[in-house]
Amino acid sequence: MASATQDPASTSPGGPGGPAQPRRALWREAGSRIVALREGSIILITIVVAVYFSANTSTFFSGGNLETILPYFAPIAILAAGEVFVMILGEIDLSIAAMYLFAPIIYYKLNTSLGFPLGLALVGSLIVSTVIGAVNGIFVAVIGINSFVATLGTLFTFEGLSLIISKGTPVATPGGQIPVGTFGKVFGAGTYSELIWALAIVALLQLVLTFTRWGVYTVAVGSNKLGAAEAGVRTNLVMIRNFMLCALTAGLVGIFEAIRSQTVQPNPAGPNEILFFAVAAAVIGGTLLTGGSGTVVGALIGALFLGILKDGLILQGVQANYLLFYTGLAVIIAMAANVYVGRVRRGRTGGG
Amino acid sequence: MVGPTSAPEDVLRVEHIAKRFGPVTALKDVNLHLKKGEVLGLLGDNGAGKSTLIKILCGFQKPDSGQMFLRGEPFAPRSVDDARAAGIETVYQDLALIDELSVYHNLFLRKERVHRPVPLLSNRQMKREARAALDEIGINIPRIDVSVARLSGGQRQAIAVARTVNSDADIILLDEPLAAMGAKEGAQILDLVARLKAEGRVSIIMILHNYVHVFQACDRVSLIQDGAIALDKPTSETSVDELTEIVVNEYRRAREAAHAAPAPQPEQPGPA
Repeated sequence: MASATQDPASTSPGGPGGPAQPRRALWREAGSRIVALREGSIILITIVVAVYFSANTSTFFSGGNLETILPYFAPIAILAAGEVFVMILGEIDLSIAAMYLFAPIIYYKLNTSLGFPLGLALVGSLIVSTVIGAVNGIFVAVIGINSFVATLGTLFTFEGLSLIISKGTPVATPGGQIPVGTFGKVFGAGTYSELIWALAIVALLQLVLTFTRWGVYTVAVGSNKLGAAEAGVRTNLVMIRNFMLCALTAGLVGIFEAIRSQTVQPNPAGPNEILFFAVAAAVIGGTLLTGGSGTVVGALIGALFLGILKDGLILQGVQANYLLFYTGLAVIIAMAANVYVGRVRRGRTGGG
Repeated sequence: MVGPTSAPEDVLRVEHIAKRFGPVTALKDVNLHLKKGEVLGLLGDNGAGKSTLIKILCGFQKPDSGQMFLRGEPFAPRSVDDARAAGIETVYQDLALIDELSVYHNLFLRKERVHRPVPLLSNRQMKREARAALDEIGINIPRIDVSVARLSGGQRQAIAVARTVNSDADIILLDEPLAAMGAKEGAQILDLVARLKAEGRVSIIMILHNYVHVFQACDRVSLIQDGAIALDKPTSETSVDELTEIVVNEYRRAREAAHAAPAPQPEQPGPA
């Protein structure tokens, strides 16, 4: 926010003007404008990766392939959007994997055992997720447990509870069965449903982060908790609220995915993997683990980067066994580039 | 030790305030009063309890015992917001600035201007008002949309001071407002204090270390020692010598006490 509006191009010195000069200055201006954005480096890296894959594979830029990328990308983007709010505080929420698993089970139980209509079951399960998020927040903000430890505890607890409640048996997701009704199409089963949700949630949360008091206080608590408290910010409230938001987005994604895949799958392996991709997306997008700084749009692009990478590698015919390895390398390279560009950005105008 | 005193024109009165942090007694029995339009200098050694007293006055911490009166009414703020609503603004020793936020977001922290009915931040209005406020105060901050991390120590301190002055507060608490400032910036802040005093609207409690600044800016001094007020005099009736002597005596007493009771030895003797 603050640094997104920083002096874009005071570097071009003008110089003796030929006809090529203004255009080059324009390019340089555009370049430094992008670099000045916190999301700038990952935008550039994502474009480079997309161009590379489209040059090397014939099918990368096809409508069919877009539909393949979406399931990788949209859920991670939504999870990462919520996680960014916790990470800006300088905290982390590992329990999003548990919410992802637990919310659809509650949704299923509310619908089949208690006879709630689909909409009410959805709302009920999201409320349960949000309350668990509040518990996380209270552990961290009020009791003072390290967020990694606290949410590791809730991660295991609620993944375990998911297995107990479901007895470890997959069930058909209410609202996800063929023929899929409007409810199912809106909440995950429609081809572009999750994409639209992801874009809407990212836009809304970026708005909250940049243009509301909630966002300002989130940055304030993450950057200088004592100072924020001295200025009168109710830091506990800010922290609990963000953990609630993070759990809510995780529960929502869990239900989307259960409806899309038609099955409530009580297996923690998948959610645990997607948790790490969500954190990776946020970090790649420019959100610091140390707090004080982050963007939701960056996390969306980070998720897009991961989605394009995975898809592109598959299209290129990379052997399945190499997939994770290459993903890891790419993440390391992207992060290094990010840190480097960030350093250039700060160095250019000189720190305090 | 100074007992409770009062004058009819007191805006703020503090009686028998005590505060402990675990085994540490920060404040034993503090009595303090602030008259309307007055600049009170709060002095004392490091750890004497000055900052604790400020943090109690501004609602950040609660006293264990004692009473406070604001304009004659009992005053027990439950939060910083509470005290602020009652007209008390504070510059903390650590400045309470948010490095990642812009100058104007810092100036308006917890007092953000928002649109109606959708409470989105009105950044344009905040920028305009911030610029006007800084100009009026006479503090030179070239850009107000950069993060405060990029400002110099003196500029940061100026922002923190501007934050309190740019408010409706009628009591301003300044905890070492000149600590990170050069001579020129410090003089600007003291000028500002003098101007505020001339306007007569606000009353100020200011923690200072430099006695020259005390005699330049303050009407009255209170010296905290061992968690209680050891001296309370108008600056016109005291001198640098008197203040220094009190502090020196305190050191002597502390040293003698340390010799008399050798059990808790603060300093290790050199290698034998």
